[in-house]
Amino acid sequence: MVRMVARKIRRAAIATIGAVGVGLALVALFLLSWTPQNSDDYESLHITILLVNIAGVIVLFILMVGNLAKLLRDYRSHVPGSKLKARVVGMFVGLAVLPLLVVFYFSIQFINSGIDSWFNIDVEEGLDEALALSQAALGIQMRDHLTTTAQIADRLQDVSARQLIFELSMLRRESGASEISIFGRNSRIIATSSDQSAGSLPKPLTDEVLLQISQGRPFVILDPVESGNYEIRAAVPFGNLNRPEFAGVIQALYPVPERISMMANSVEASNSDYKRAAYIREPLKRNFSLTLTVVLMLSLLSSIYGAFILSRRLVAPIQDLVAGTRAVAKGDFDTRLPTPSRDEIGFLINSFNDMTQRLSSAHREASLSQALVEAERANLAVILDRLSTGVVALESDFRIRNANAASGAILNVDLESRIGEYLPDVAKGQPLLDQFVDVARVHLNAGETEWREQIVLRGEVGRRVLTCACTTLPGDEDHAAGYVVVFDDITALLQAQRDAAWGEVARRLAHEIKNPLTPIQLSAERMRRKYLHTLPAEEAQVLDRATHTIVQQVEAMKEMVNAFSDYARAPDIDVNKFDIGKLVHEVVDLYRAQESDIRIILKTDSNLPEIEADAGRVRQIMHNLLRNAVEALEHTENGRIEVDVTSAEVHDVEVVDIVVADNGPGFHSKSLSQIFEPYVTSKPKGTGLGLAIVKKLVEEHAGTIDAINPADGGALIRIQLPVNETARGQMIARLPGRAEIRRERA
Amino acid sequence: MLAMAAGILTAGSLAAQQLPERQGFFDIRSASTVLNNGVHELEARLQLILSDEALDALNSGVPLTIELEFEVIRVRGFWLDASDADLTFQYELEYRPLSQRYLVRNLNSGDQDTFSTLYSALNNLGRIQGLPVIDDAVLGADNRYRLRLRARLSTRQYPSALRLLFFWRGQWQLESEWYEWSLER
Repeated sequence: MVRMVARKIRRAAIATIGAVGVGLALVALFLLSWTPQNSDDYESLHITILLVNIAGVIVLFILMVGNLAKLLRDYRSHVPGSKLKARVVGMFVGLAVLPLLVVFYFSIQFINSGIDSWFNIDVEEGLDEALALSQAALGIQMRDHLTTTAQIADRLQDVSARQLIFELSMLRRESGASEISIFGRNSRIIATSSDQSAGSLPKPLTDEVLLQISQGRPFVILDPVESGNYEIRAAVPFGNLNRPEFAGVIQALYPVPERISMMANSVEASNSDYKRAAYIREPLKRNFSLTLTVVLMLSLLSSIYGAFILSRRLVAPIQDLVAGTRAVAKGDFDTRLPTPSRDEIGFLINSFNDMTQRLSSAHREASLSQALVEAERANLAVILDRLSTGVVALESDFRIRNANAASGAILNVDLESRIGEYLPDVAKGQPLLDQFVDVARVHLNAGETEWREQIVLRGEVGRRVLTCACTTLPGDEDHAAGYVVVFDDITALLQAQRDAAWGEVARRLAHEIKNPLTPIQLSAERMRRKYLHTLPAEEAQVLDRATHTIVQQVEAMKEMVNAFSDYARAPDIDVNKFDIGKLVHEVVDLYRAQESDIRIILKTDSNLPEIEADAGRVRQIMHNLLRNAVEALEHTENGRIEVDVTSAEVHDVEVVDIVVADNGPGFHSKSLSQIFEPYVTSKPKGTGLGLAIVKKLVEEHAGTIDAINPADGGALIRIQLPVNETARGQMIARLPGRAEIRRERA
Repeated sequence: MLAMAAGILTAGSLAAQQLPERQGFFDIRSASTVLNNGVHELEARLQLILSDEALDALNSGVPLTIELEFEVIRVRGFWLDASDADLTFQYELEYRPLSQRYLVRNLNSGDQDTFSTLYSALNNLGRIQGLPVIDDAVLGADNRYRLRLRARLSTRQYPSALRLLFFWRGQWQLESEWYEWSLER
């Protein structure tokens, strides 16, 4: 606001100074044209004005040269707007200079021919002849008066001194002279007669009269007098025969008649005026030309300088516009240009400002939405990263567009690091991913883009069950339509469901079957006791066999129900700190004592830590594992069981690693993945609950259990139990597999 | 265009330089005052040579004005001298074509004389005799005075076109040096 006001004030000041300057120049020009006609007091003023104007011309010239040099410099260095400025200046100069020069040329011509036309050869000749005529006419009179004077001199020659004055006066009156004087030697007045009043001195002899008389020549001239009239002065030598001392000069003055004097004056004045005018003709012309030239130069240079100013004002907003456009092109959308006026240029600049404002806000919005998108993407990435569900986005040609960490963990391949690669290529040598790709490809090749399926992948360590859903991704400019496959590893879930179901079965069995077993057994025993000895021997034998079978089978059934009961029951864990090495020793020693034909080799670390766990359950785990091994070695010669207890760190978690291996027939490879499920057994005997219970107990301690058939034969079960509560917490927090991948990435 | 303008601007001086002319000069040969009946009268001899241009103008009917400037300067011991009186005597020299005579008119008194030749007219002008200049009574008895005199061609009365011409041309700048002498009483 303040700047605008300041600019307005400055503009007004410049306009005022300009107007005053132009006014002064006009006044100076007017005075310049006026002074030659008014001759009295303006000489110095005229000179001053002329000099001021010339100074003005010089100043304007310097300004013009400066502007021209700047324009040339700008033009050569391609300053924006300089070409337009040059064109505008050129146009203005062309418009101003040509008419001015034409006017100047014709004015000079008019002045010269106009002034020349005042002078005419005929007039000059006429005036000269009139002058000559007047001279001739007066010359006759002069000769007449000279003659008269000579006659007077003759007549006075004999006159006595006494008579001289009288005679002189008489002769003067006769001759019509206004004064006659007789001068003696040394120009002394001897006698004089005048028509003037007495007392006035006669006109003295001049040097030239004396000179001429001394040469013996008479003297006659036409003499202009103070009154403006003429008189004829004639002088002749005078010698008085009677009075030699009177020898001298007679000078007579004859007035020229007033009318003739006037006419003569008029002729003379006309002649003089004409000559004077002719004399000042050239200076006058030169003056006019000079004045005109100064006027021309002032006008010309003013108009050229004006053209520069005008072009600058005209081009300035355009230059602003160019600069603004460049700034916008460079990405500076906050450029605002000052509005110069309310004309079309002003409108243009307002439009430009509008445009930049809109661009600016659009840019801001775009940045904002980009930031939002980035934030969303980051959020999504975090969510995807934390998701336990695997998400893989594929291009239509099976290249990986995106994949989260869980997908890698589930499929056992770090997919995140292979984004952009062709999925079937990535799947080479990766059995899980390969199967996954095969399933997906079958669907997609069949043209099914939306499908949902539960798939089972078989790997080296077991099978994995995935629920898998696929849908198409909308395509955009950068990406063709692709697919997103979402899958969950539900192996553990299914296992848990199965475990829960078995637990329920076991509980019901225990409840529903165990209760009638005792009465059955008791009844069978009672029956046997009561009737065995009463029956004949053959029948007693049948009864004995039957009751024996009943009791035996009930026992077996009880045993089975107890096992189920063990499996199903979930009493609280009684955690204590104990020496696991010692515990394993005790159990192994028990079996060593029972099974003498099986060699049991026990290896324990000397620095095994004390473990925080339920000692009873750990004992049961060892019992079950050893029994399982012993049972497996029933038909094996040189049976051998190796028990290996070590402390280890798995994924930063401190664990006790227990391995029980035998050299028996090993697990059925078909049931290897389900070996820990109830009623999955490779043995003819047994409830099929031993390993299921072991697994349950291990999981109650947040431990892990694996069963494999080692390459050199036999079976191997590995258990890892966390050593304390902290380690247990850490184990719970991790899922096997995923943790491994994370560690690698970190 | 500019060259043309510059040419026109300098046309006057160029024209002047083209004529090989007599420049003319004014000079005061001698000057003195004589006290006569309580009035100091000027006696002076001047050499007045007109330039060709002035002669041209004279013969074209332009009257020339010759000025005698006379100054009485009081000499002061410890201060700048003071100009006590400043007199100008103007004489007009004119050629009358009808009578073919040169007319010399004292513009102060109105007296006039005619001469058949310019030489005699200028000679007459250059011989100042008994021209009363200052009354002795107005001069301080105890003061010392310096007097000075110069002659110059005045162009003040001429048409401005001529005067502009005179401004550009050196031939019209006819002016003698100051001739200075002490007042003797």
